[in-house]
Amino acid sequence: MRSEAHDKLPEPLQEALDQGLLKRLPRTFLPFTRQQLRDWDYLFPYERNSIVRLLLFVASLSPAETVATFRDVLQLEQRMGVSNWQFSTEEQTILNASLLARSPYYQDWRKAVQKVFDAAEEHAARADTTKASRHRFVLLVIPQKLPLDSTTVWRRWQSIGRVVKLDGTEAGGSHSLAQVLLATPRGEPRAGLIDIVTRRPGKTVADCWILDAGHELVESVLASEPIEPGSYPATLLSYERLAGFREQFSHEINEMQKDLSAADAVYERLRKVDVTPWCPPEVAGVPVIREYLRSLYLSGNGALIFGNSFVEWGASEALRRARPDLLVARFGVRSKPKPFTSVAVFENPDQINPQPAVDDLQGSALDAQELAFYVWLAASRYDEYRTDTACVCVAESLSEAYVIAPPEFGLFRKTQPVPIGQLPVILADWLS
Amino acid sequence: MPEQRLSPTVCGNSKRNEVLSRRDFLNAATALLVGIGLPSTGVAGGGKHGSAGSGQRVVLVIFGGVRRAETFSPEGIENIPCLSGEMLRRALLFADVRNEGVTAHFNAISSIFTGTWQRVDDWGKDAPQSPTVFEFFRKQLRVAQSDTWVIASNKALTSLIGASSVSEYGPSYGANVVFPKQLMVAAVINALRAGRTASLADRTRVETELQAMLEAGNYEGLGWNVFDGVSNLDPRVRSTIEAAISNFVRSGGPTSGDELTYLVSKEVMRKFSPRLLVIIFSDVEVAHFGSYALHVAGIRTGDRLAHQLWQDIETDPEYEGKTTMFILPEFGRDPDGSITNGFFNHRSDTESTRSTWMMTLGSAIEKTGLVERPIRHVDLCPTVSGLLGCRRTEVQGVPIAEVHV
Repeated sequence: MRSEAHDKLPEPLQEALDQGLLKRLPRTFLPFTRQQLRDWDYLFPYERNSIVRLLLFVASLSPAETVATFRDVLQLEQRMGVSNWQFSTEEQTILNASLLARSPYYQDWRKAVQKVFDAAEEHAARADTTKASRHRFVLLVIPQKLPLDSTTVWRRWQSIGRVVKLDGTEAGGSHSLAQVLLATPRGEPRAGLIDIVTRRPGKTVADCWILDAGHELVESVLASEPIEPGSYPATLLSYERLAGFREQFSHEINEMQKDLSAADAVYERLRKVDVTPWCPPEVAGVPVIREYLRSLYLSGNGALIFGNSFVEWGASEALRRARPDLLVARFGVRSKPKPFTSVAVFENPDQINPQPAVDDLQGSALDAQELAFYVWLAASRYDEYRTDTACVCVAESLSEAYVIAPPEFGLFRKTQPVPIGQLPVILADWLS
Repeated sequence: MPEQRLSPTVCGNSKRNEVLSRRDFLNAATALLVGIGLPSTGVAGGGKHGSAGSGQRVVLVIFGGVRRAETFSPEGIENIPCLSGEMLRRALLFADVRNEGVTAHFNAISSIFTGTWQRVDDWGKDAPQSPTVFEFFRKQLRVAQSDTWVIASNKALTSLIGASSVSEYGPSYGANVVFPKQLMVAAVINALRAGRTASLADRTRVETELQAMLEAGNYEGLGWNVFDGVSNLDPRVRSTIEAAISNFVRSGGPTSGDELTYLVSKEVMRKFSPRLLVIIFSDVEVAHFGSYALHVAGIRTGDRLAHQLWQDIETDPEYEGKTTMFILPEFGRDPDGSITNGFFNHRSDTESTRSTWMMTLGSAIEKTGLVERPIRHVDLCPTVSGLLGCRRTEVQGVPIAEVHV
């Protein structure tokens, strides 16, 4: 069970809650709100700010304004008959989601809820005029092993950026490009990319994410310098190093009956079980990341099944929940489905079928191209990444990168092909 | 989960397709894609019109969630060489087929079956709340259960999909329902639990495992409702399934869930010649796990199997010249960049998710070509009911005018 010390809620929020703030919220707002408050210790700073903005906005409203703000939501709740549902107001359940999604008013309800959140954000933006902008960087890596077609590789990006040729002849020997970029410089006055971000005022590990479909990238960061347990320089997530976590989760999910109440029971158990023993040290020692992973696996989207899906969905959730300044997503290789047993997708194919696993290089390459683009699309949904952000998607096997960045981004000023050895300096300049 | 291996009979590689010139193909595809219509002068299907009910048969093929982007689009047609090639030239293609209901599997399929938008439990715990096309057909025309089948890969369905909860209709007028993929999943899990994983690497032993599941008799656990008693599989059904399993395991061909669903369907057609056969493929649903390549492979499998089914229809005297085949997805999938993670899911209220297409071939179409006006999923039930000779169906949908009853 969870056992960490608890952080206190901000004083103005606690006061508003003590004065009965939650009673002013519509019924369908309660599961999310209560769950966020209960999970306060496991929220990223961005999420905490977001729920505080919503609730303090509601607290600032007069009774008449409250009615006006929630009018649409309340009317829709009435039409949907929410008060007659078996609807949990304590936490978000699969049954809740199913009841909402089945309602003919579901899409209208979603729009009405979004309107309230937008109003809260606008209210907060008006109050905070000191918002400082800073450069951010998203690096997407399609590794050398994956075969790509130079004529189609960037087609899905629809000319939103530019292709930049790279010269890898003087790259870091056996190290991949991502390893070269993230390495701590030896004998040079400049800092590494991770250092630059984490030294920014008020920054935490949630501002710097490295997601790896394999293990090499995370392990090279872990090996780059001595790290005290519990004080990691970044959020380090390796699909392969999380195999134990996945096995345990999959086992529980495989036991689940095809029934809503059984599913909720399994999810309830998985929400509470102590996952620490299943985690590698870089996750076990960081409660907020442990809980992020639990929630990521519970939300599906293939994160338990395929490394590339884990990287994409993990990155998308990191962008949504933490708004990091630096995010690195490195894709990898999955195996081909095995004959017959591939129908049981939740089971570990290597455990249930003794036939040797065979790499699906072509299929993995297609997956990686699509999912790398999805990570950028996920980022571009948020204001934080629409300006002042450079996104570089590297196709290692082609020595090419697709770059979306403001015109002043240093890579655009270099003569092509750009030697890979110059990239760490260009990126350090961007983030500094 | 689908495999990427393609059968040697894949439409794009078939000898029959080679006779179509590239220019013909591109002309047809371009005409389709720019929405100016296809050549529509020839009588399609060669069947008789206006003969509803007089031995008319309907085969309805439903894919899972498939976006137009991966199918009928400039980039997508390479994934559907059969549908966009040989079949398109003989078909009426409805370019905007709308799912205006819940874009989840059980509700989408039960809306197609009932002609009324359904909002029941998505996990198949509740039967549809309006009569299905099977019930209209069987009750009004006193048709045997063996004349109506649902053969499905989709794990989100249950046997309740075959009949409604409406008191004057219900299971006694419902369809036979079989989920061949569930048999495979159960066999894999059973072998795993019994420590017989070695069995799963050997085709002969796989057949033994599948046969063992058939003998175990827990058909309700598999979601099936083809019994002659409380839990006995009808002997003819059993021999049909056994033949399909044997073919599936021994052919050396692909081994995805949809392949088995196709082979069972083929056997059912051969032995029972049902007048209304619904086949639901779902290899494409691997998209939920985020593999775009495997999703596309599922589309290609569905394209090939739909083509094989059409060939089966055209060479079976019980079906040839008196069968109409409808092919449509349950819905699309979410657009790239959506908060619901794009192609992984099908929850967004967008054109990408709500608007798909439907291909119709065979005896009930007079002309080939493109129909651009929107139709709805619920329009299919009254159309199929009419084709089969039903006199009335009180549903939300309306008969599709371009399909001649």
